Order: sequence, then C-alpha cells, then structure tokens
Amino acid sequence: MDPIQTEIVVVGAGPGGYAAAFYAADMGKRVLLVERDERLGGVCLNRGCIPSKALLHATHVIDEAALSEARGVAFGKPKVKLEKLRQWKGAVIEKLAKGLDGLCSRRGVRRLHGRGHFEDSHTLRVETAEGQQFVSYDKAIIAVGSKPAMPAAFDLGNRRIMTSTEALELEDIPGRLLVVGGGYIGMELGMVYARLGSDIVLVEALNNLLSGVDADLVRPVAKAAEKLFKEIRLKTKVLSMATSGRKIKVAMEVNGARREETYDRVLVSVGRTPSYEDLGLENTGVRIGANGFIECNDQQQTDDPAIYAIGDANGGALLAHRATKEARVAVEVIAGESSTIADVVIPAVVFTEPEVAWCGLTEQEAKAGDVPVEIVKLPWGASGRALTLDRTEGLTKLIVEPETERILGVGITGAGAGELIGEGVLAIEMGATARDLAESVHPHPTLSETLMECAELFYGTATHAPPRKRPRGNGREAAGQDTRTHA
Amino acid sequence: MDVTLPKLAEGADSGTVVNILVVEGDPVQVDQTLLELENEKAVAPIPSTGNGRVARVHVDVGQVVSVGQVLVTIDEDRAARAPAAPAPSPAAEPAAPTTPAAPPEVPQEAQVHISGSGAPPAASPTVRKIARELGIDLTRVKGSQRGGRIVMADVRGYIQGLQQLALKPAAPAAEPVVDVFQTLDLTKWGPAKRERMSPLRRTIAQRMTESWTTVPHVTQFDDADITGLMELRKRYAKAYEKAGARLTVTSFAIKAAVSALDKYPAFKTSVDYQALEIVTRDYVHIGVAVDTEAGLIAPVIRDADKKDLLSLSVELDELAERTRQRKLSADEMQGATFTISNLGSIGGSYFTPIVNSPQVAVLGMGRGVQRPMVRDKKVALRMVLPLALSYDHRVIDGADGARFLREIVRCLEDYPEAEIKWPVS
Repeated sequence: MDPIQTEIVVVGAGPGGYAAAFYAADMGKRVLLVERDERLGGVCLNRGCIPSKALLHATHVIDEAALSEARGVAFGKPKVKLEKLRQWKGAVIEKLAKGLDGLCSRRGVRRLHGRGHFEDSHTLRVETAEGQQFVSYDKAIIAVGSKPAMPAAFDLGNRRIMTSTEALELEDIPGRLLVVGGGYIGMELGMVYARLGSDIVLVEALNNLLSGVDADLVRPVAKAAEKLFKEIRLKTKVLSMATSGRKIKVAMEVNGARREETYDRVLVSVGRTPSYEDLGLENTGVRIGANGFIECNDQQQTDDPAIYAIGDANGGALLAHRATKEARVAVEVIAGESSTIADVVIPAVVFTEPEVAWCGLTEQEAKAGDVPVEIVKLPWGASGRALTLDRTEGLTKLIVEPETERILGVGITGAGAGELIGEGVLAIEMGATARDLAESVHPHPTLSETLMECAELFYGTATHAPPRKRPRGNGREAAGQDTRTHA
Repeated sequence: MDVTLPKLAEGADSGTVVNILVVEGDPVQVDQTLLELENEKAVAPIPSTGNGRVARVHVDVGQVVSVGQVLVTIDEDRAARAPAAPAPSPAAEPAAPTTPAAPPEVPQEAQVHISGSGAPPAASPTVRKIARELGIDLTRVKGSQRGGRIVMADVRGYIQGLQQLALKPAAPAAEPVVDVFQTLDLTKWGPAKRERMSPLRRTIAQRMTESWTTVPHVTQFDDADITGLMELRKRYAKAYEKAGARLTVTSFAIKAAVSALDKYPAFKTSVDYQALEIVTRDYVHIGVAVDTEAGLIAPVIRDADKKDLLSLSVELDELAERTRQRKLSADEMQGATFTISNLGSIGGSYFTPIVNSPQVAVLGMGRGVQRPMVRDKKVALRMVLPLALSYDHRVIDGADGARFLREIVRCLEDYPEAEIKWPVS
C-alpha cells in the first residue's frame, strides 16, 4: 500500500484528538484521524466523564428520594435493575459516539482504525485490521490521553480489582467495596456504588480528601461522604492484595497499625499515566519530562518541530476540556496563527454531591506563592434557592486582587457547582472586578446569586448576609479578618 | 533621603539603568557608586549623596530614567549627613553627548504595568488575541477600565502612540524609525531569548541604516607590500616602547591616510544634500574603530596631520584603552574626517566597511600575510596587507577612489625611515 499523504495526522480520537481533527478540517487542512478503539471519543466518552456522570445522575436520585420523605413526598425503597442501568448508560455513549461519527464524516476527516507507531518524525505506521498502513504527514498531533494507574503490587489479573474502567462497567454491586485513593475518581465512583448499596471503605494515603483543592471547599463533600460511606480512612497505605476465593484480601497500614480485611471488590483510583507506550516516540525528537509526561511548550510544540502534543499525554490537569482547548491552540499554531495556552483559565469540577468546582487562582496557591489576595466567602445558608432545594451545605468564594479588585479565582461547592463555575471562568478571562460581578443582576431565586452576593460582600454589604465586620478599605487587613461572620 | 538622577551633562536628560550595585539594606557612603547609567555612548556611575542604608531601590535594570527621577532612597545616619546633592565628581564625569539621546517619546514604552499578584494583564480573550497577533505586550498598555482592565480602545490608543512615534521625522539622534508593527516571533522555531537593545546598539543600528540607505557605496580593494615597513617597525619597536608607545600598523596607516587626504581633498568633504552643497574640512581628524564588549566605538584622534608617529601611537593606545573602559567623552567620539577600521588583529582579509556618514570614506585593513610575489624579476616571500576603501560615490568618482587607495599603498610601501626615527632619536 502506498503511504497516505496528509497535512495533519492526529493520533488518538478523544476530546483532544477529535477536536483537533475537526478544527483542522474546518480550517481547510487535509486531516487523518488515527484511533485504536472502534469508537471515537476516547476515555472521556467511553470510559470516563460520560459514563461516570450518567451513573452519578442515575444514582443521585436514590439519595434525593430518601431525603424527599422528610419533605413530605415519599417514594418507598428503590429497585435497582442493573442490566437496565447499564443499557441506559451504554445508550448515552452510543448516541454521542454516533454523533461524533457523523460530525467526522461530514467534515471529510479521514479515519484510520488501528494502533499508531512513529517510524520517524514524518512517518506514522498504523497497524490496522487489514495490515500495516504508512502515513506521511507534515505535522502530527499526539492526543493519546492517559489510562488509570495500576501499581504492580495490586495487578493480580483479578477482575475484582478494578480501575475506573472496570468499575464503570458495573458488573455487579459488591457487598463490600474498598476504594483506594480519595481523589475525584475514588470519591465519584465511591458515591455511585454506595448509593447502589455497597458498603464503601475509602482509604487515602494523604491526610485529606481531594488533595489540592481548598480545604473549605472540600469540607461539605467530606461530610457527605462520611454519611454515605461506611468508613473513610486517611493516612492509610494499602500494602498488598491477594485473591482469596471470590474475595480480595487486603493488607493495609492505618495510622501506622497493620490491618487485614476481605472485600468483594477493590477500586484502585490512585492516579493516571500517559498512554504513549508503543507509540515509537523514541524514533522522533519528542522528549519525555521527568514526570513521565510529554514535554511541550505553550504552543503545544514538542521538541520535534513536526510533532505537537495535547491533552493528558502532556500531564498537568488531566481534563477533557483542557485537551479540547489545547487542540485549538495546536491547530492554530500549525495554521500560522499566534495562539497560546498560557494564561488560559481551565476550570475543574468534581461531580460528587455536592459538586466542587474551581477556576483560576486557588487559596492554596495564593498562600503557597505568597500572593497578596483578599478572600470572600458566602455560605449558602443565606441563599433562598439553596433552602428551597434543601441543599444549604454549599459555599461560594472569590479570590480577589486587593489593589485592582480583579477576580483572580473562584471556588464553589454545592449543588450544580459545575454549572455555576462557567461564570467564574468568564469573569477571570474578561479581567472582571468584584464590582463588575456585584453590579451584574442575577435572577432570583437561583444559586447564581451567590456569586453576585459574594462579590457584594467584598465591599462589605450583601443583601442576604450580615455586613462584614470591617468594611473594605483597610486593604489586606480585612482579608484575614473573618469572612464568615455572615454565616 | 532620595538620590535623584542629576543632570549629567548639557543635553543629557535621560539614560538607561544598566547595572544596580546595591540592594535594599546595604550600607552606603557618600560618593559610593549606587548604579550605572548608560547614555548613548557612555556609562556613568551614579554616586550616593549620603551615608546610611539603602531603604529602597526604585528602578530596575533596563529602565529609562530622566533627570530628577528618584533612583534610590537612603535611610541616613544622622551623624553623617552629606552636603546637599553634589553633581557627580569630575573623575566620574560621564560623557556629555552633544547629540543627546532622545528622551523616550512614548513614556509607556518604558512603563510596565504588573499587578501585585503577578496575574497577567486584565483583558478579555479577544483583546489578548489581537495583542498577540499584533505583537503587542499588554503589560505595556495602560488599562482604562475598572481594575486596570484593558479594552480595545486602550490598545488602539497605544498603537496610535507608537505610530506617531514611528512617523516622527528622524531628528539627528532620535530613536531609529522602527517598523513597530512587525512581529518577530522566533520562539515558533525553538527557544529564544529577548533583551532590550542597549542605547549604544540602537545608535549603531541607526547610523549604519542611515549610511547604508543614503550613501551609494563603492569598495575598492588593494594590497600593500609592507615587508619593508615591518622591518622598520622591528628596528624601532624597542625605542618606541621606551618612549611609552606600541608601534602598530594602525599608526602607520593613520600617517598614510593623512598623506592621501592631503593629496585628495575630496575625501575630506561631506554632502549637504538639503543645501546641495559640498563642505570640505580644513582639518584632519582620524576616527579609529575600536571593538568593545558593548559594541563598536570609533574614538577620534584630533589633528592627526600635526602629530608625529610617536604622539600618534601614544594617543592611539590611550584612546583605545579608555574606549574599552567606556570612559570617553562624547567629544572624543565625534567630528572625524576619515575613519580607519583595522581588523588585522582578529584576522581575515578584505571586507566592505560602511562609510561613517557624514564622512565620505573609510579604510578597512585585514591581516597581513606572507605571500610569494615577484620582486625584481624574482619570486620572493613578502608581507602583504589587504586593504579596502569604501567611499561615497556621490562625491567621489571611481578613479579618485583608486588613486586615493594607491596613495595609501605607496605611503605604506615607501615609508621614510627618517619619519620613524626622529621622534625617538
């Protein structure tokens, strides 16, 4: 077979890869999209964001129904039909995948199904079902993503020891499920299984859940998890696992003391690793950083002038929307436009209940970097909407630059925080001040009001909160000064 | 107390900070150098006017400062209050450029707006994209909106300011007219570093561009057989050394140029294109290009026609040394009739020097090499010096160019021993 000649080859068809291929095609480039999976969409669509969010929504109703009884509307005990739940989840994926197929073919993006392997900086070999196919290209975009990390000590080849991939298959509802790792995946999937009826023991090596997120934003989620899970063990290290009949025997060290327990299943959610093995990067100029991820600059260029890299394979925040944005940057740079990922605000959302969402500068980062900021917080106890939803555990906070009053960061915990954070992103991207946010009228009664009132509080007075003790004007002194007196 | 920028010299109202020698908390004494300022072609030390400790340094390296601006605040020792701010001591008196560096016309050019948190400039993605495309650094644009937010109108105003600056008729020493709209982005192809052009580099760039674009250049090449001259030099080197001078080929070349300029006065002219007149100098000042760390500077030997070989050699040595230390006054760098650029110490042969306008000619010297040549019908090994004369073809015709260079060659080849001998005898 003659080599396929193309301007751009994109390796990997996740939210980074397909976005890059589509955008490049829209710009009039000849594009080839290489994907080893049958379906487009990558981890996000097939084994990540989408299935997990489907399950989170479906099972959240179980909690809601239980709480509803206290409000005078009772549903009785829910019946879970696992097969049907799996089918519905599968149908969501199928529908989105079909949509991607349509978008792909309508743009004339050529697809090649198989594993890609770089022969040199300008040649990709693809192992397809019909044999080898060589691709000769001007520029390549690596968008191979990441996969769940599975430490060798836990890798017994036992399917009861799951990563997020298997957990999302929802094979059964284990009686006792051990979740290893209190990051967002462990928390989200732990909640899914807990609602379905599993007894969850979640262990985390560090001293806090959702490490890296501001402590005040984590607190309401930690509380919810404590209620939902059987047990949460911090500072706990899993030492070993062994197959024991149809169960898993787990040895762990809890606060220095050794314990052995048996579980029906284990979910290992201790991080993710880049999926570039067997990609032949050693035949190119692409450099791997000390952290094991591909090195690239703000223009998504690797050390090889012909090769760009986007998304999880580059490390940093492993988020689908970051990959999608980087896809646009890479394609624009290839097209000769000046584009950069620097200073782009990338929001993050944890889809627990309550949700946690943040963007821009965090309080932790400000402290660590000794950045002078003023922090304003508005607990949702004051929000009429939160009360009518029976969800007052939330919190909205703004991180503000004192001299300019610019909003540098936004953090939200609460129902629908993931939807609310978009406004925070827009505010930071537009260089908005707290005044801009305070003076933009927000509809009542909605949770979005908390952003406006939090900004009002920055100036000392918000309608639905007691005034701050010291009105603004004292500069940074007011920052540490209690911002929670209005609770 | 505040140490402000004193008036350095007539017409010198501003300069660029090139070096800061103290940090906050350092003890300092009167006259101790706090920082160094580069002003066109000289570097001037700025001394402390008091005793005490540095409370605050208000400027950064690379910043353009003007007379009266506060540079450093000093917490004074009460016991030792210095007399009211003296001008810099005469020893440290820097160059007084007769053509002053123009004060920055667009003040925001030097003004960088960075907020306390170090956050990027407040501007919407649209404005940021446009700025990127135009190659405009938004930290240099002052935002007019709440919180210093930059909107399109601010960018427009900034560009208009730059355009006005760019379109201003180039005053004698104004900033070079730069195409401010052209974006240079080398980071597309790999890592690259940016730094501001030093005032000296800007001056050189501007002068070279001016000369290259206005002067029609012709370069004439020739060789001088300096075998004899080298023998003479060897013979008298010791005597000159005793008298405190190094006898170099450059000194001989100055002498040769003096003789050629005397014979062909067209080379002592300048073109006044506006008046459509040709001005002939009645004096012979010779500029000698000196390679310094910061760039090329050509100090001038005055009245070279009235000096003997010894005084020329002494002066050349001393001038070159002071040039390398950047301790020349502006006067010492200007007013040459003709320039000599000797690259012999570095190597290479012919090159095409650029006329140092408003002069009309420049002599370039390469490295002397041994070459077989026919002398008295025999092949002999001779020391040959490659020469190149660039001249302004508006006032000098080709034939005169060739004659002038022949005269220089003749002078070097038949250098009278008496002229070398008598200053040291």
